[in-house]
Amino acid sequence: MSDLTADKLRAGALKPGGTGEAIITLEHVDKFFGDFQALKDIDLVIGKQEVVVVIGPSGSGKSTVIRCINHLEKHTHGRIVVDGVELSDDVRNIQEIRRECGMVFQSFNLFPHLTVLENVTLAQRQVRKSPKAQAEQEAMDQLTRVKIPEQAPKYPGQLSGGQQQRVAIARALAMQPKVMLFDEPTSALDPEMIKEVLDAMVELAQSGMTMIVVTHEMGFARAVADRVVFMADGEIVEVGTPEHFFEDPQEDRTKLFLSQIL
Amino acid sequence: MAERPPQQPLQPPSEDPEGTLRRQTGAKEQPIIPDLLSLPAGGLRQWAKTSLFGSTKDTILTVVFGAILGYIAYRAVVYVFVSARWEVVFDGPLVAYMLGNRFNQTGLSHVNVWAAIYLLTATAGLIAGVSRANGNRTPLKVALKILAAPIVGVMAVLAMTRTITPALLVLGGIALFLVVRTAVPRLPDAVLRRAGWISMGLTAIAFFVLTGGDPSNVDKFGGLLLTIVVSAGGIVLSFPLGVVLALARRSSFPLIRPIAVLYIELIRGVPLITLLFMGRFAFGFFLPPGTRAPGVIPRAIVMITLFTAAYVAEVVRGGLQSVPRGQTEGAQALGLSPLKVTRLIVLPQALRNSIPALIGQFISLLKDTSLLVVIGIPELLGITEQVLAQLKFKAQGYQPETYAFVCLMYWIICFSMSRASQRLETRLGVGQR
Repeated sequence: MSDLTADKLRAGALKPGGTGEAIITLEHVDKFFGDFQALKDIDLVIGKQEVVVVIGPSGSGKSTVIRCINHLEKHTHGRIVVDGVELSDDVRNIQEIRRECGMVFQSFNLFPHLTVLENVTLAQRQVRKSPKAQAEQEAMDQLTRVKIPEQAPKYPGQLSGGQQQRVAIARALAMQPKVMLFDEPTSALDPEMIKEVLDAMVELAQSGMTMIVVTHEMGFARAVADRVVFMADGEIVEVGTPEHFFEDPQEDRTKLFLSQIL
Repeated sequence: MAERPPQQPLQPPSEDPEGTLRRQTGAKEQPIIPDLLSLPAGGLRQWAKTSLFGSTKDTILTVVFGAILGYIAYRAVVYVFVSARWEVVFDGPLVAYMLGNRFNQTGLSHVNVWAAIYLLTATAGLIAGVSRANGNRTPLKVALKILAAPIVGVMAVLAMTRTITPALLVLGGIALFLVVRTAVPRLPDAVLRRAGWISMGLTAIAFFVLTGGDPSNVDKFGGLLLTIVVSAGGIVLSFPLGVVLALARRSSFPLIRPIAVLYIELIRGVPLITLLFMGRFAFGFFLPPGTRAPGVIPRAIVMITLFTAAYVAEVVRGGLQSVPRGQTEGAQALGLSPLKVTRLIVLPQALRNSIPALIGQFISLLKDTSLLVVIGIPELLGITEQVLAQLKFKAQGYQPETYAFVCLMYWIICFSMSRASQRLETRLGVGQR
């Protein structure tokens, strides 16, 4: 295949969806772990209110991309701009970007020594300096949104995996982020609990939240995504609408991947 | 921050229909150290039949070792109740064992000691009451468990005197503890939230009362009082220093890490006794010229603190490593500053995981204070020399009783501390998330 076709297939990555107004821009982003290149020249523009699902085989760098966006990993080359702020090494700058990006992890990462309510109020109180009553009101609103307000006084260890992940979503939402990053949010869950988490994510997408979701849930990608990004070996291989992607994939690597998982 | 949720009752365990909480503290059902007093299944007779007399070989072993153990027990009982001359403890010297021989030179009276004990008892009551109000979730409980053991030890022995006053005072202390514990949960929320500061304040006042406002009086303390003052000082000072060192050892700043590593490895490579000698004889070299060196005992406390801090640092470092990376990332992703990630997320979990090892460290600190005898400080072990040198007891072979008594004192304190650590471990569900 010629370079020209490849460029065409990836050109979709540069056209923001949603409202058409870019909120996250990645330009020529490279990431090295030692000698290993985890990301190769990533270009991606995310539009406001857009839902982008990133799929790909394990080790393809999809988690690394979203971890670079909120600087849990430091990218080696290139530019990352989030809501007009370019990511630099400055701690204040990083914290500012992290306030705008809520993140949900595969392993929940709730704080086991704090109650659910404290988990959700902590950052509001410490980072946004909200008064206690206001933070708790916000926390209860978000817990109600993910349908577990009654779990507020419990500790994370007392909840099921699905409930914990929903608390994690509420915790991120309580900071009023502009973007939500999901790093394989259902991969550590028992099958019967996946749906409750996906339901919460679907509701969130419908409310107009900008979301980048790394997942293996093809059903979710098909139903909710505005664009699907397929990555392999640290590169963006193919970008397109779910219809294009699942009905008419162009790249051999995409076809191979889809044939393996569908 | 660890504040209570609104309208949330004070006892999370009650609303736990699935019993998940019980699963969390499942260690309660399976104690790490088996309860020696609980009867085996099937009754004693059945147990004896199968375990002790199951075969000819078992029977022989049982009889032989039973005879040996029985003989030892018999001799012990005879010694304790018949032949031992306990007057070396109770006939006068008890006050020396408790307070040392030079306590009177301080111009303080026993009232100071009792007032301090009562203040600490009230503090313990306060902490117990608060942790009750919070449904046992507060780390204050740790402080209580560490405080309680020495206080109980002091009281138990003071109760052994021939006069009625100490016994009454001890009963008064217990009553005070119970009253405070019951009263505390009814106090306003603002007081409960500041319980940590209040108990620190009360402890400071207790120390002030104990020394009559002049810390240099400590140099004239002796016996158990001195052992407790030195241990408490060592624990209170080495803990924060150790935590700072542990954090420094993980720091990414260029110079801090090597300095922490150097300090820890230097201290751990030297026996405590040599540090104590350094403190006794070489401390002045490290002070600016012209300053008066602090007393012998503060110097000893400093040395014990420096020594223990290195070990505390290693224990806490282990605790820090046990906190999964995801915790840091989760906190970072919320926009918390690096300092707050450590203070609010990583450190609380790390310390909770380190509690058993930390208490072990503090128990060995307490026992290590007996080394002070070598540099001539009359703490609990050192005071025996002075008692044995009294005309009444001199050269009459009173050593066995004396050392047996001192052993018992150390044992009471250390054992109650280690039990406290076990209870804590179960309660906090260490090792289970």
